[in-house]
Amino acid sequence: MVSSVTQKPLELILARNLMSALSTPAFLVDEGGVLVFYNEAAGALLGKRFEELGTVGPDQWGSLFGPFGEDGEPIPYDELPLVVAVRNGRPAHADLEISSADGTRHQVEASAFPILTAHGSRGAIAVFWPAGAENGRAA
Amino acid sequence: MKVKLWGTRGSIPSPGPETIRYGGNTSCVGVTLSDGSMLALDAGTGIRNLGLALAAEPARLHILLTHLHLDHIQGLVFFAPAFQPQTEIVIWGPASPETSLRDRIARYISAPLSPVEVRELPCDVSFRHCPQAEWEIGPARIRAASVAHRGPTLGYRIDDAGSSLAYIPDHEPALGADLDTLEEEWISGLELAREATLLLHDGQYTDAEYPDHLGWGHSSLSHAISFARRAAAKRTLLFHHDPMHTDAQLDELGHEARRRWQELGGEPGGIDLAEERAEHELPTPAAVAS
Repeated sequence: MVSSVTQKPLELILARNLMSALSTPAFLVDEGGVLVFYNEAAGALLGKRFEELGTVGPDQWGSLFGPFGEDGEPIPYDELPLVVAVRNGRPAHADLEISSADGTRHQVEASAFPILTAHGSRGAIAVFWPAGAENGRAA
Repeated sequence: MKVKLWGTRGSIPSPGPETIRYGGNTSCVGVTLSDGSMLALDAGTGIRNLGLALAAEPARLHILLTHLHLDHIQGLVFFAPAFQPQTEIVIWGPASPETSLRDRIARYISAPLSPVEVRELPCDVSFRHCPQAEWEIGPARIRAASVAHRGPTLGYRIDDAGSSLAYIPDHEPALGADLDTLEEEWISGLELAREATLLLHDGQYTDAEYPDHLGWGHSSLSHAISFARRAAAKRTLLFHHDPMHTDAQLDELGHEARRRWQELGGEPGGIDLAEERAEHELPTPAAVAS
């Protein structure tokens, strides 16, 4: 009898394994837009480890850390790079301001790309890059 | 279900006096289902002997390929039923965004690597991408899922008459992951192997050898033990032996595997090494109860 626990697609497993080894803040959502993982570097940026937060539904994670645009206004959920990547199946990029758990604001560049396989979309990955950081020295 | 191991070696055939007991043929497992029909798992050089052993040419035979590395398909053009016009062979394998399964296999079964072309095989052969959902072959329910190896690679689970066989011969689930602590849903292949009556799993490297082969797509002994424990497989046979490992070295590896398995609380006989030509009859629940 197979367990009722649903196995994650291999592409997400490999993505998580890679992200776990990176010092670049990185986020992973599944094909339904559920935030299923972010790495330690992302946790340091947000002020909360993924293990403390757990998975977050697609309509919730966009507002957890208040992504704001250059004008200081909240960015509409549908325009977040990770949402564009997972919904439209194409890469997306934006300059954002995020708010960590202690209220500190961070300017970041966010790039997201979809995870496409022979069986269709599996989700998307986003990496955050501190604005103004030197090449290869962001973290 | 009855399982016969026709090839347990990994990477390249390794015949010789030092590999007689565990065998030198590459991956192939014959599975006789509860209705007497047969499946072949992979078509390494071991499938040649499987073909020769078939008493009568089967009307229809399914071959389930995990992936298309040469040690898993090399025996295809030496498989006797493929040259019988009355035989229908269905070859299942992983999908690829690049090209069809037939065209990928034809890279091997074509000049200059092969004396025959796919179109010249006398049998009625067809090629199918494994579906993502479970499907049936005869009385068996088959499930295929992508697993961590190099290139598109599947593991299989076959359920028939209350017993289950999980076959994951090429697998590196510990690449970038701690198998002892990671949540189950994030472990490659675990759902295929969960509580399997018999798990055939990659155990190519010793722990000392693994660091020099990180990312090559195979497991160390420790990783194979951890995976089998997390899957709660009833019995595990370590498979895909390294071509450099002699019978004597594999004896040592098997001894260590059994010792560590029991030290971790596993039942005696819960883990062992796969031996070529060995036969394993998987008990049905009724047989277990008696």
